[in-house]
Amino acid sequence: MSVGEAQTTEQAGEVDPEEVEGEDLGWRYSLKKVKADTTARFGLYVIALMGALATFAWIDYYLFDYQIANSLWYHPARDPDEVNQLLPPVFDSEGTWAHPLGTDSRGRDVLVRIVYGSRISMTVGVVATAIGLVGGTVVGAVSGYYGGWVDDVLMRIVETIYSIPFLVLIIAFMAALGTRDVMFATIGVGIAIIPVFARLIRSRVLSVREEEYVEAARAAGLRDRKIIQRHIIPNSFAPVMVQATLQIGICILIVAGLSFLGYGAQPPTPDWGQMLSESRNYMIPNPWLSVWPGLAILFTVMGFNLLGDGLQDALDPRSR
Amino acid sequence: MSLLRYTLSRCLQAIPVLIGIITITFILVNLIPGDPIRILLAEGDADPAVIEQLEARYGLDRPIYERYFYYVIGVAQGDLGQSIYYGVPVLQKILERLPVTIMLVVSAFTFAISLSIPLGVLAAHRKNKPTDHVSRIIALIGVSTPSFWIGLLLIILFAFHLGWLPSSGMVYPWDSPDDVRFLDAGHLGPILVDIHPQLAVFYQTLRHLILPTIALGTLQMAAIMRIERAEMLETLQRDYVELARAYGVSERTILRRHAFRVAQLPVVTIVGLNLTSALGGAVLIETVFNINGLGRLIITAIQNLDYPLVMGTTFFFGVVFVVGVIITDISYAYIDPRVSYGERE
Repeated sequence: MSVGEAQTTEQAGEVDPEEVEGEDLGWRYSLKKVKADTTARFGLYVIALMGALATFAWIDYYLFDYQIANSLWYHPARDPDEVNQLLPPVFDSEGTWAHPLGTDSRGRDVLVRIVYGSRISMTVGVVATAIGLVGGTVVGAVSGYYGGWVDDVLMRIVETIYSIPFLVLIIAFMAALGTRDVMFATIGVGIAIIPVFARLIRSRVLSVREEEYVEAARAAGLRDRKIIQRHIIPNSFAPVMVQATLQIGICILIVAGLSFLGYGAQPPTPDWGQMLSESRNYMIPNPWLSVWPGLAILFTVMGFNLLGDGLQDALDPRSR
Repeated sequence: MSLLRYTLSRCLQAIPVLIGIITITFILVNLIPGDPIRILLAEGDADPAVIEQLEARYGLDRPIYERYFYYVIGVAQGDLGQSIYYGVPVLQKILERLPVTIMLVVSAFTFAISLSIPLGVLAAHRKNKPTDHVSRIIALIGVSTPSFWIGLLLIILFAFHLGWLPSSGMVYPWDSPDDVRFLDAGHLGPILVDIHPQLAVFYQTLRHLILPTIALGTLQMAAIMRIERAEMLETLQRDYVELARAYGVSERTILRRHAFRVAQLPVVTIVGLNLTSALGGAVLIETVFNINGLGRLIITAIQNLDYPLVMGTTFFFGVVFVVGVIITDISYAYIDPRVSYGERE
């Protein structure tokens, strides 16, 4: 799960300081390039689609208690009155258009549950990444800018967190709080990925810190906090954007794994990882149950990876 | 600084991280609500005297700072404490489960590396041609797919539908042939039983390993492939490669002699860094395939509130990671003489 992270950190370290200023100037150019890139655009469409579904599911869940889904189609969480258990998908000879992807062991429609599962995955991915980004920016900026013992202490803590496998750390964290709630899973993932951003930001700060304009700002009497806010963070923006995009996908994968182990969204809330976990008991009567949630995860994560790759190409000064 | 001194200083730098791991796990584990002794005794209405006695035995009656102090001292002496649930030393339990997980992780990385490096080189060599596109799509899907889902699909297809490979009931190469069920399963099974039963056991191990290996290795394969391709592309654009080309050296020789070795450096780093993520992935894969390795050990330990076992296993994972990083750094310094041993100018 530390795949994309290692890659960009690697490259961030290599970026020549002279090229940094150009990145900031070329924002409009970069955006144009992302739009022109077919794969990045495809990624953007996928994310837009999943985002729209997730928003719709949130509104329906929060404001209407699933009544929109229930009146239009089926209830995504409650067991139906008329029970059609383990119905196969429509392309099977026994499948019907009433349940295009079939039904699960309780007779709930799989398609509705897949659509509503986007709510948990998208939210957790975005919120966890935001937590990691904010935490990592603070830690990385402070660590890189001040150096010395502050840097030593912070980096040792970051390394410590990084050296424990994500899943183990998050499950221990949730066990410590005595909860299996998805909200704490999100916070746990967010904390677990702080090292990713902290290291990235720190390496950027180290290269930007020696820049002449930063020294000029210091000579002009600007305070440290202002220098970090005004110069260092904006100039580290491009690689962080790329990393954040890829990280949302990684977080979705982590949370799917957590839910699969029972540490995430709890039944009856529709969630992809948990649906996969349930499907394990019905692999022989209805193997398709194990297919759909995984495809949904793959599709969503791929969207973020495509956009992240596209952003990287567009923002990388060397590829201009 | 010599390589030996560099190694020593890297090991010394690792000590605070290891103490950090102990501290974090100790804090987390001691925050866990619930009483391990009560879980052990199954019911709440046990004799208070027995509970007191057990608490004294596992040191749970002492104040927390004292327990922390004794734990750190113990770890420094190689004593990870006693498992409450299993009643055996934690280290013994870890070492008992370790070979299985090592087997799984090593075979996953073997699978990943042996596929990803040729594919990555090929993709870089044929940039923007169909081969490149196909291998990039494979890599993209690989990094976007949950490993446990691949495991489920493989079970459905190869175990249930086709019936070619087993889905659970892992066999270990050191198992006695008498204990292994379906020893003569598979095409080669009956033949191997006749030659030597232990050979048949080994064959069964391989059959059991195939699906978990693919499930765990796919993500690593895709990750390494992406990096391999990017590195090769960059190396192939370097001046000295251009020079070799200008001299009329064939593209094949350039790939093999000049570009390949240099491009492997970042790949070494990724393999080292991804060791933790593979161990984390093993938690899921062991659950999917019912393999009794370290991953499942830690999950059940958390569920049973087996404090010493949770701390010990987490600490062990941390040690593996730290050692992996040190080995990566050292091999990096060894392979590439330009890497300085941490000295500035």
